[in-house]
Amino acid sequence: MTPTATAPAEATKTPLIPPSTHRYADVIHRLEAGGSMLPDTPENLKQIIGIYKAYAVPMDFYWRDLLYIAEQVFLNPLPAFKYFISQEYLDLPNSYAGDQSRLRIWRGGDKAHPELLEFMATGETGSMPKLLHHLWHDRVNMEFAEACMQAMLWHQGMGGRFNDYLESDAYKANADRAIRAYFKGNPVMLGLYKLFPEMFLEQVRQLSYTANLGLFWEVMAPVFFEMSDIYDEGGFKGVPDAMNFLVNGIFAVAGRPIYHHVFIGGECFEIIPKSEGFTWLYEAALPYVEAVFYRTSPFRGTKSYNAQAGQVPSDQASFHYGILYADVYPVGSAGIPPTLLMQDMLHFLPPYLKEIYKQHRRGEEDELIQLGITFQRSMYNVTSAVIQALRCALLYPLDDTDPEHLMANRRFFEAQMDRFLRPEARLADIQTQDYR
Amino acid sequence: MATILETAASAGCFNTLLAAVDAAGLRAALESAGPFTVFAPVDDAFAALPPGTVQTLVDNPPQLARILKFHVLAGAHQRADLVGQPEWESLEGAPVPIRRNEPFEVKNATVVTADIACDNGVVHVIDRVILPG
Repeated sequence: MTPTATAPAEATKTPLIPPSTHRYADVIHRLEAGGSMLPDTPENLKQIIGIYKAYAVPMDFYWRDLLYIAEQVFLNPLPAFKYFISQEYLDLPNSYAGDQSRLRIWRGGDKAHPELLEFMATGETGSMPKLLHHLWHDRVNMEFAEACMQAMLWHQGMGGRFNDYLESDAYKANADRAIRAYFKGNPVMLGLYKLFPEMFLEQVRQLSYTANLGLFWEVMAPVFFEMSDIYDEGGFKGVPDAMNFLVNGIFAVAGRPIYHHVFIGGECFEIIPKSEGFTWLYEAALPYVEAVFYRTSPFRGTKSYNAQAGQVPSDQASFHYGILYADVYPVGSAGIPPTLLMQDMLHFLPPYLKEIYKQHRRGEEDELIQLGITFQRSMYNVTSAVIQALRCALLYPLDDTDPEHLMANRRFFEAQMDRFLRPEARLADIQTQDYR
Repeated sequence: MATILETAASAGCFNTLLAAVDAAGLRAALESAGPFTVFAPVDDAFAALPPGTVQTLVDNPPQLARILKFHVLAGAHQRADLVGQPEWESLEGAPVPIRRNEPFEVKNATVVTADIACDNGVVHVIDRVILPG
């Protein structure tokens, strides 16, 4: 066989569009080459996979308890035990794990993760009654999960049709039926409902967002567990591989229904039926990323804000308190909610991450800060996956040969990077390994 | 002439689309008098979606119906009509933008064959599944 001469490799091809002149041109070119906002280094890959796993264990509790609260606790006026999840909900099979799954994302089982169950039994303090663990706060910090839900509720129209539906006559009628059924035989609460119907309706809306978030995280937990397993067996060549796993996961589950069912006296009340057509991608994931990664809210805790000095924007749309903008050390000392998540993740760090933290900065003394910054890197990678998935769904392939298509992609990436021009953004910091 | 669905069936390259139409319970609607304009993705367009995407939608008819309705406009609109407006409201409710006239592009899909006349509307063949947003 005669070997044929082949054309020189890609390196000599003239680019079809000129380079970007954006402040973050380097990051944009990396995105255009199929990469992530997070640079592709072995340590970055190690850090983000380790923290994904550490995040997924408490998340395995969050999604179950969020559904428990939305579907069972519902309108209990004194929900003191809402974090005392029932065995039924703790044992809820994850739809994306285990042999029973129709779309299996994680090779592991559908039940609660063994590390979660072990932590629920002993916490940091040891074996003692659940009530004492709860009051001592030696438990999974569900308050973080509820804070994420509240961010989605407060910011409301972050995309999709969910929020508009909560204002519709159909929703109000569904909620009314459930409220009357829940308080059947309780003249005091039914009387209060008659006097203050909007207050009860607003509580139901909050519970619908609780269900939304539970269904969102039910998917993310097995995604992160599977990424950890793939990494352990050497299956990710770099950060772009990890990002692409997320992109594929986003598409695979995009059409998952988002709904809110409530169980009262053994009967199912469909407050938001699946037949409304709400989807995981448009009504859960995208609004979540916008409301929680980018915006969220000023931290309640030990940090104070001077209103006269305009330290909190008067326009809620200008809130940028999410992880992508967090200055981890002062935020860490501010308290709830970011530190709650950091403490949760601290309990489930894989040994290779603990090793990295021991070797840098103040070692074990500032583990919480170091892991908070790792978490920030990892969420920039998740955001990159969302950006690439949106580009794939709504725009053009990265190897498109039409310059107009490539410029459309370029404009999209630049608009996304414009979100990180404000001084609080950490996009520039995560470009160096020394940011810890 | 044949109906939109009959035309698609005889073309041989819309098997996934037709299966999706049935799974979403939209056959009766698309067999009705309409008329409709349908942007019909070929089988390769569905195959290009990441694994599991189509399966999740087929398992959830209301969600699938929403994506399919995004490919349908009320009224029979030929290419010459469509390029006269920057966007058209789909049956799903979200707008479908007309991005280019030459080549004829609808959102991020290229129309590979336009103006296939049917009894109850017009079909334009596209090379990608289009999504709202």
